[in-house]
Amino acid sequence: MNLFFQQIINGLTLGSIYGLVALGLTLVYGILHIPNFAHGALYMVGAFMSYFFMTDLGVHYWVAMAGSAAVVAVLAILCERLVFHPLRNSPPIHDKIAAIGILLFLEAVVQMFWGSDFRRLSSPFTGIMNFDGLIIPEQRLLIIVGAFVLVIALQLFLRKTMTGATIIAMAQSREGAFLVGIDANRVAMMTFAISGVLAAVAASLYAPINLVYPAMGHLVIMKAFVIIILGGMGSIPGAIAGGMIIGFAEAFGGFYISTAYKDIIAFGLLVLILSVRPQGLFAKGAH
Amino acid sequence: MLQLENVDVCYGSFKALTDISMTVDTGELVVLLGANGAGKTTLFNAISGLVKPTGGDIRFEDKHLNGMKPSAVVSGGVVQCAEGRKLFPQMSVQQNLMMGAYVHRRDREGNRKRLNEVLELFPILEDKASQPAGSLSGGQQQMVAIGRAMMSRPRLLILDEPSLGLAPLVVRQMFETIRQINSLGTTVLLAEQNAFAALKIADRAYVMENGRLVMDGDRETMLGNEEVRKAYIGA
Repeated sequence: MNLFFQQIINGLTLGSIYGLVALGLTLVYGILHIPNFAHGALYMVGAFMSYFFMTDLGVHYWVAMAGSAAVVAVLAILCERLVFHPLRNSPPIHDKIAAIGILLFLEAVVQMFWGSDFRRLSSPFTGIMNFDGLIIPEQRLLIIVGAFVLVIALQLFLRKTMTGATIIAMAQSREGAFLVGIDANRVAMMTFAISGVLAAVAASLYAPINLVYPAMGHLVIMKAFVIIILGGMGSIPGAIAGGMIIGFAEAFGGFYISTAYKDIIAFGLLVLILSVRPQGLFAKGAH
Repeated sequence: MLQLENVDVCYGSFKALTDISMTVDTGELVVLLGANGAGKTTLFNAISGLVKPTGGDIRFEDKHLNGMKPSAVVSGGVVQCAEGRKLFPQMSVQQNLMMGAYVHRRDREGNRKRLNEVLELFPILEDKASQPAGSLSGGQQQMVAIGRAMMSRPRLLILDEPSLGLAPLVVRQMFETIRQINSLGTTVLLAEQNAFAALKIADRAYVMENGRLVMDGDRETMLGNEEVRKAYIGA
């Protein structure tokens, strides 16, 4: 029974990280209809920034995470301004190619500075909590709580503030947003910044129980795409629920079937769910 | 209040608007008649900053609107209620209306007052306030669209075919509300195919054909004009 609960904790941990990454991806897709393949690279840069702040500048884990979030937010805004904005009227294939270009560029830059070695980000939360035999490492608990707080904060921002509501408005009707005087550029920049912050925080939370290396974003972004396709492109609840589904499937599949097949499970689920519900689980379109 | 001088709009090599000159004075209700594809929507989108004119000048109270961003046009007091409503379908009616107040978002007190005025114009929306706008009937959605535009506190309200696809009884009510909005002090520029009903509440009208203005005059002249009657009223 304890092993079962252990898998629940593992599922929650993975689901939280996947959910955070997928949220950023789905927000950007929702307003700009860009599948941002570079999102995984932002995640990777987020981990490296935290690593840099902690090992080279010697700051505390929290400060490093905040610094990383700020740097990646600016980086995401730059991607929007310098790459996606100028391409807004080009054929749709162009921004997809550009996104892959950003991905390759960021990986090359990181490799130039840090090489391709695997590195370890040490978090101050190395303890282990024991709840009557159920063992939860502190970092995993931090991931679950951190993701939960972030998702609630994002929801409050999107639902309760006028500025946040512009993102939802833009996603539901671009023309409607123009008619009420919403500035499309502002919303685009804000959405990219939020997606950057989510990616950087997810990476900084997950890196201490994983490794930091230039290709670390690949598998995460592939799974984030699976998640937003499952959840319905552009759907916020879909990204969170999809993240949890994939996280739990991997944790339990890895435990009860084999860890060797862990990474296949997400893609297997994608095939399975799309054959039953091709529009995704939470697809928009309630008219 | 609004002046257009020799405005041209091109989509690629296709000239959608040619040499449009018109005026709308403060307090007026001006109707723009024309068949589908005559260029009415293009003209409105040019005023709202959604399409860039290739030539000519658009002025609103001595401000040049050409090349201005759509958000700046709305802040300036020119608000369009577009054809097809363009609501936020999954947001509630109340949220839709409040999004209309986006450019005045810091004036919470004023927005609350304005919301009450809009709900007085459309009492039925008060009961529907928490329903998703997309779930309402066509007529109610049109009310939300006009209400949302009113929340932006327009000095010039541009309405693009508000009666499109609505039942005759609802259409009559819609025109009555538009007349009421105008009499409360908002200048209105209205595009319509429902020519007779529109002319009855109008001060003046323009007729548009193939991207050009071909005729204009006050209500009586237009209602009495043989060509207008034949082409748009069918009597």
